Amino acid sequence: MSELSLKKKKASSGGESHIKLTAGDIVFNIINYAFFALFTLSCIFPFYYIFINTISNPELVTKGSITLIPMELTVQNYVSMGKVGDLWSSVVITILRTVIGTALMVMVSSLAGYLVTKKELWHRQFWYRFLVITMYFNAGLIPWYLNMSMLGLTDSFAAYIIPGIVSPYNIILVKTYIESIPAEIEESAFMDGASYWTIYRKIIWPLSKPILATIAIFGAVGHWNSFQDSLILNANSPELYTLQHRLYIYLNKSSNLGAIAASGTSSGDSAALASSFNTKIIQYTISMVTILPILCVYPFMQRYFEKGLMLGAVKG
Amino acid sequence: MAETAFLHRTSYKNEPKTAAERVSDVIYWILRAAVVFNIVVLFFPSFNPARISGMINRNLSLFSCGVSYNSIVSTFGRAFRNGWVEESTFHALNVCSMVIIVAVIIAAAGGCMSLGNHKLKRSGLFVSLAGGIVEIGALIWLKSLYDAVADQAIAANKLDRVLPQYPHNNYIYMALGAALIVLSIVNFFLVPAAEHGEGYDMEPRFQLFLMMLPIIALAFVFSYLPLYGWRYAFYDYKAGDVLTSDNYVGFKWFTSLLQNQATKRDIVTVLKNTLAMSGLGIATSWIPMMFAVFLSEIKNGPFRRIVQTFTTIPNFISWVLVYALALAIFSVDGFINTMINSVSETAVTTNYLMDTNHMWLKMLAWGLWKGVGWSAIIYIASISGIDQGLYEAATVDGAGRFAKMWYITIPELVPTYCVLLLMSVANILSNGMDQYLVFSNAVNRQQIQVLDLYVYNLGINSGLIPLSTVVGMIKSVISVILLFAANGISKAVRGESIV
Repeated sequence: MSELSLKKKKASSGGESHIKLTAGDIVFNIINYAFFALFTLSCIFPFYYIFINTISNPELVTKGSITLIPMELTVQNYVSMGKVGDLWSSVVITILRTVIGTALMVMVSSLAGYLVTKKELWHRQFWYRFLVITMYFNAGLIPWYLNMSMLGLTDSFAAYIIPGIVSPYNIILVKTYIESIPAEIEESAFMDGASYWTIYRKIIWPLSKPILATIAIFGAVGHWNSFQDSLILNANSPELYTLQHRLYIYLNKSSNLGAIAASGTSSGDSAALASSFNTKIIQYTISMVTILPILCVYPFMQRYFEKGLMLGAVKG
Repeated sequence: MAETAFLHRTSYKNEPKTAAERVSDVIYWILRAAVVFNIVVLFFPSFNPARISGMINRNLSLFSCGVSYNSIVSTFGRAFRNGWVEESTFHALNVCSMVIIVAVIIAAAGGCMSLGNHKLKRSGLFVSLAGGIVEIGALIWLKSLYDAVADQAIAANKLDRVLPQYPHNNYIYMALGAALIVLSIVNFFLVPAAEHGEGYDMEPRFQLFLMMLPIIALAFVFSYLPLYGWRYAFYDYKAGDVLTSDNYVGFKWFTSLLQNQATKRDIVTVLKNTLAMSGLGIATSWIPMMFAVFLSEIKNGPFRRIVQTFTTIPNFISWVLVYALALAIFSVDGFINTMINSVSETAVTTNYLMDTNHMWLKMLAWGLWKGVGWSAIIYIASISGIDQGLYEAATVDGAGRFAKMWYITIPELVPTYCVLLLMSVANILSNGMDQYLVFSNAVNRQQIQVLDLYVYNLGINSGLIPLSTVVGMIKSVISVILLFAANGISKAVRGESIV
């Protein structure tokens, strides 16, 4: 995982290279490498397949000629996506919720994580448990929905942001991290007369940036992928649909039309057939628009993701 | 830390309090309780004083009336067009509700200031007093708005349609406003004046608490308040109804789960699906561990890193996108069919996604495809932490590859595996609904509907709110019991808790 462990592995493999590989080892290695290569391929190929279909001539795509390599490269599909008006509102809504929602969540988790480490906090244990318990218990989908509609958080953008601000899991991660910062730094600032707020802003916030980056990335991916709140709370406001919700709608449209075309019940209905193939291109292109940010960000952020997982595993 | 804080803020000596201060403390607790209660009732539709006409939606709280004009007048299209009531009155109602909200916020600020030193307390009393006065003023205005609506309705001879009703909840707010005023004034005489030259200050514990308070409030509103929705389980409720003693049905919905044949059949199917999918998940929960063990056998670093990077990506895309990929590969005009058609003469159009055979196994496969790489990371990290000396010693003793795996690697991973296993047992009823929602269609519904999806379909799509609340309630309670049981087992066996 870490650089250190990789070096260790290298050292050990260097040691083994002196030992002659037996026939059994070779067979094992072939099977092992083949399995992982195939599985990795299965993880990449669907993305690749959709991608080459979006950059190829749409006529070839509708004919189904694009299988392994792109042909007659074009950006026409992406350009014509611009004409699908409702897509852009979804893109804007999704970007806005990702940015605003993540920023607020990170700020609140950071502050809360700091506060629950302070022994002076009035009834600290109680409030910490008060937050943590909510991870293990929920009232259920319908009471949650009724509560949100009672609060007026249906058919509104705020429904995407406000409920996600307090995230107990992230608060625990930040708390664990802050506890690892040497207490002396904070104490010396105290002796100099700094207030809690100053200490938080000038010391804790900068020092806890690594963990904040980690929870920010998890939070952003969560916001980008979220779908249920759009589906349940904003069902009557198409202008507020998130990108995932929009994609879901297009996928359903397409699969229904595809099913009709396949069953042959309305084989004469060429309009349905044609529109099904058009939806196929739309569907591929929206999928790509939805996946690309994650695929682009992922390789750079991988270490943060893994760090987040590790921290979660040792949470107290 | 605590000592340091007190050292540097010397003004918090534990001086004995005078009798007057002790009385004022009690009064402050009443005052703060009144403020909290006042905030809470803002959000409850049944305590909405702004509902001055029967036409206003019953499920609107004072808070919604204050923040959204449209929500007040959503049902007034005809009334405005035909001149039964005047629109300006309702604009005023919106502003008036807003003023009450502001008054409550002012009172809340006063309540917060009451946690400070004498100087802050005395200033806070002015603030709560102001809050109380604004609130009472706004309520008097509200009363005049009610009169205006009643007059307009009488003038238009539409009393039976507009249904002006005196907002009896006014009295609750009046009482709270009056309490704020009275208690603030009383405390003026009880809180000692600030010493000359004393600045505003507050004990650290309360400073920190006030910083925490908004977070606590949000957690309360979004995680604890929904529990109040459990009351719907005891009523015969349809969207738009009000809960009254008339539609109170007691445990009818609970018993109907067992007595109504159709519901019972549904529940049995759903439970079968839920337990099957969770069971399969638990039965294959060793796969990520073995994935990690075999991946660590690959000595080629770059290859291993590539595998690790690409196999974790599926974990970060949504189920909707997984379904999009599934369509691209397995649908009628997807990759597989295209490939088969390009080599075979006879055209085939198998829609693999409409096929209902082995639905549970397919869902399991998708779950594994999405999750295995990610789940393996935790084991990979554990493996890289194992002392290499153990392997070297084993090699010297003549242990083969599998012997080393079996006697060194796996025993190191088993504790982690057990924790994760216990957690998944505790979550046996919660499969989540996204995966099953996106893959469900008219054909496979019977095989795919798990508990979470069933609750969604029942409550949101079919509008059977009480019944779906009951199912959700039972699920929540059982889940908590399972979690405690799993935790208990973990404590007994490993001496560590998992939550």
